[in-house]
Amino acid sequence: MTRAAVISGLGSWLPPRIVTNDDLARELDTDDAWIRSRTGIGQRHTADDRTATSDLAVEAGRRALKSAGRESADCVVVATTTPDRPCPATAPLVATGLNLGTVPAFDVAAVCTGFLYGLGVAGGLIAAGTVDSVLVVGAEKFSSILDPQDRSTRAIFGDGAGAVLLTAGDPDAPGALGPLDLASDGTGSDLITVPSGGSREPFTARTGPGYDPYFRMVGKTVFRSAVERMAASALDVAHRAGWSVDEVDLLVPHQANLRIMHAVADRMKLPRERCAVHLDRVGNTAAAAVPLALADAVERGRLRPGDRVVMTAFGGGITWGACAVRWPDVTPI
Amino acid sequence: MNDVYDRLVGLLTRGFGIEPDEVSTETTFNELEMDSLALVELGLAAQDEFGVKIEDDDIRSSDSIGQAAEAIAAKAVSIG
Repeated sequence: MTRAAVISGLGSWLPPRIVTNDDLARELDTDDAWIRSRTGIGQRHTADDRTATSDLAVEAGRRALKSAGRESADCVVVATTTPDRPCPATAPLVATGLNLGTVPAFDVAAVCTGFLYGLGVAGGLIAAGTVDSVLVVGAEKFSSILDPQDRSTRAIFGDGAGAVLLTAGDPDAPGALGPLDLASDGTGSDLITVPSGGSREPFTARTGPGYDPYFRMVGKTVFRSAVERMAASALDVAHRAGWSVDEVDLLVPHQANLRIMHAVADRMKLPRERCAVHLDRVGNTAAAAVPLALADAVERGRLRPGDRVVMTAFGGGITWGACAVRWPDVTPI
Repeated sequence: MNDVYDRLVGLLTRGFGIEPDEVSTETTFNELEMDSLALVELGLAAQDEFGVKIEDDDIRSSDSIGQAAEAIAAKAVSIG
């Protein structure tokens, strides 16, 4: 019998410090109404100087294991844009932080699509019989790569981590990962980028005016591409799951921007009420956004066991994807 | 062209809270206080409505609704 990867635990963690739109308005030329009308975001959480991405990931991972009623996992995959250090990967530290011993642990870099890529890789490891369980964590200290003077990115991004525990199970079980779509297009690599600090423009080669260590995004082009790609990908997996759009109970899109999320729902001909919205309280947390939005939707009674849920994401690379799941009976912690 | 203009005003009415009698062919998107993201949203909606590919720069904030309708009509003809 084929083995499927089944969602059996869900954890989320947000660093306690909240930065409101009014807080940002005291530093930058912006205000609450401007940020809300363009993004739908009211506040975001930011980690303090002592906290790194792995700390957020450990906390979310611990909670996902607890939610599943387990103490261990056979493998750890961390999806992040903001690793603790450029080298090594963050996942081994997370595995150690969770006392998981010498399990395989590695990072996945697909920016805001990272969590879905992580699900894909983890699902493959389980299906192949390599491991029986994988902790997939989306974690970001995104505030660490933002230009302090850039009001557009400062307003959008927040820090946080979300995790699921996948365990081997029956393909028909609730929570079994259903049809998955993953894609990329490197011609768009300049649209969402940290231009400097990698091998293309190393730190040592140039530290003059052209050196830019901060996260940059071409908003308008990203907006359009995100809407088109996420809508098509979400429709593709729903179709392959045998669901009509009417049968999709909840769309959990990457929490990029409320206007993007609504445009995706509109394009799919899905009522906007069936689109999970979490970014009003946490901003865009990149690779952490989808699992955080899942946990929030369950906690608020928007996502119930048996519901047909479609997750979709779009991010730097550019990358995008979607996954359909019949929601299991899990309580997020 | 008139048909395209009317349908474009229909999109503005349905998606952007604009009343048909507030606008004419001369009204610019700037005057309607539509920001750059709103123009992308309009472009996506127009793409569905007219079945033509609309690029980011096809509808600019300094354009009038009439100019946008002409640009869309030209595309519809060239593929039609």
